[in-house]
Amino acid sequence: MFAGAKLGVQMRNPVRLNILTIALVASASFPVAEAFADGELNLLTWEGYADDAFVKPFTEKTGCAVNPTYVSSNDEMVSKAISAGSATIDLVSPSNDATLVLIDAGAVEALDISKLPHLKDYYPAFQKPAWLTKGDDLYGVPYGFGYIRVALKEGAVPGADSVKALWDPALKGKIAIWDNLESLYLAARYVGVKDVYNMTDEELDASMKALIALKPNIVKFWASDAEFTELYASGGILGGNTTELALSKIWGEGHGDLVDIETKEKRGGWSDSWMVVKGAGENPCTYAWLDWVSSAESQAIASKVTGYAYSNAKAFDLLDDATKALLTKLKTNDPKVLNEVDWWQPVARRSKYLEVFNQAKAASAP
Amino acid sequence: MAIWLLPPLLWFVLFMLVPYAITVFYSFGRMDGVLFAPDFSLENYRKVFFDAPYAPIILRSAWIGLLTAIFSSLLAYPVAMAMAFNLPSERARQIVYILVILPWWASYLVKAYAWKAILGPSGLINKGLMSAGLIDEPIRIFLYNDFSVVLTLTYIFTPFAVLSIYAQLERIPGSLIEAARDMGANGFEIFRRIVLPISVPGVLAGAVITFSLGFGDFLAPALLGGSDSLMISSVVISLLGVANDRPLAAAIGVTIIVLAALLISAVNRLEKRTQVRL
Repeated sequence: MFAGAKLGVQMRNPVRLNILTIALVASASFPVAEAFADGELNLLTWEGYADDAFVKPFTEKTGCAVNPTYVSSNDEMVSKAISAGSATIDLVSPSNDATLVLIDAGAVEALDISKLPHLKDYYPAFQKPAWLTKGDDLYGVPYGFGYIRVALKEGAVPGADSVKALWDPALKGKIAIWDNLESLYLAARYVGVKDVYNMTDEELDASMKALIALKPNIVKFWASDAEFTELYASGGILGGNTTELALSKIWGEGHGDLVDIETKEKRGGWSDSWMVVKGAGENPCTYAWLDWVSSAESQAIASKVTGYAYSNAKAFDLLDDATKALLTKLKTNDPKVLNEVDWWQPVARRSKYLEVFNQAKAASAP
Repeated sequence: MAIWLLPPLLWFVLFMLVPYAITVFYSFGRMDGVLFAPDFSLENYRKVFFDAPYAPIILRSAWIGLLTAIFSSLLAYPVAMAMAFNLPSERARQIVYILVILPWWASYLVKAYAWKAILGPSGLINKGLMSAGLIDEPIRIFLYNDFSVVLTLTYIFTPFAVLSIYAQLERIPGSLIEAARDMGANGFEIFRRIVLPISVPGVLAGAVITFSLGFGDFLAPALLGGSDSLMISSVVISLLGVANDRPLAAAIGVTIIVLAALLISAVNRLEKRTQVRL
């Protein structure tokens, strides 16, 4: 994901799991039978993706010690994976807007899917996603994911079914927009751009103008889920574009009137994947880790830690009823919705995109 | 060379000169995909000066820095005056001195969040106005705009101006004031003809510090700024974290360093011209 925009690994988790149950199931059905005494695994990943809650059972069973190094941006992950190689890093977990960069650079290796039996339990959208595929080869194991919502207070814009609702004059000074290129994509979808990740100069210009036209409605560019939550809970805004973590939190605080609008336009989505740095597949701990993190059991535990939805559909079955109800309301387990998400892709002209986004941010409201 | 000079010299070279040199080196390069490629091109500097939005944002940041410097100086001056001339005892002076620097014991973030709480829709100001019956619903003009940014920066950085001005005023001997009084000068004349001219270097030094801190700030705009409160530091952060455009970020950095050096040398010259021998 974009720097500073990693959906803030939040420990205040709306998901309530019976973690003991999951841990018991996990220990009973651990997928890796073999132990690799004295093995070692070096991860370059996001905070929360190497939590003790699911690393400890892995290490106990396999003997593989896990050494995570946390990064704050995809670029850091990509540049280190390319420059350092498997001598110092075994696995990375970039987002879908960076995976193809690593694949094209030859920095990661194709996976042997015969060693990854849990992939068959994945949602269809994550079984062989375009951002992890080259030719017939799969280069990553999808992990946490989410997609971007347009949310408005009930009745704020009656009949809202499009991102256009955010531009409604009734929302003057009443919305918060994500301080992220995703908001430029939002403006692009507003002006009808089909491929928001490969915009022409004209399309970028139209998107910038749309974003500037939205500025009278924007009270704040939010930087974290907590900030959006606080803005809504305090009555400072009536909505904006946001994430499921913020929605869950807001609903959990008793503000059930914030509605996740089903927009006619597609919604941007992020998906992190575990990728094997070239040469690291020979480390016996590498596939043991991939097998473990792709299992429903470990992903259910991870869900407890991070609050994200995960790619293995069977992880859903291990959640308690309240959590299932929440995820159902958020539609993170609806294959049809997941298939309609406009998943993030690498943007070749990111500097240009950022320049346009900053131009829009710096512009005065019309 | 004295051996004791070696550690500070090493520090200066390793943590000042070398990083500056690296930044300059990067500013002439370009990105080849996700990797940096050394080059000798002025393209990044062309972008900084001629492509939107960089130069306007640098000017905007300078404007915020200037407002911070002006308001900090205006607030600091009376406090420094009181500390230098009006407090009845050394003990009272020490107490005020501690009160001035006390906010430094709290983290910047805490102070910025405190202002967010004070200025927000359910904050102290709105609650006060509502309980006084002056308004029926919260006013939203206090937060998420340049006013809240400048207010917060001024609050946080004013102690620098106080200490700078006070250090200058403290140099004025009491005998000089007494002599002026004996010669028939009134309070205003003493201030205008003695105190104010002597204090100018202190005001300038404080203004440079508060300007620089305000100019380079990114937290206050991020926390309390509105939809157009974009500062150059935030742009640099996004160039590094979002676009991975290290050369352009470095070019902006070098431009700001050069501008700061020019400003400081101009102020130094002004300080020397206004310095009064006592």
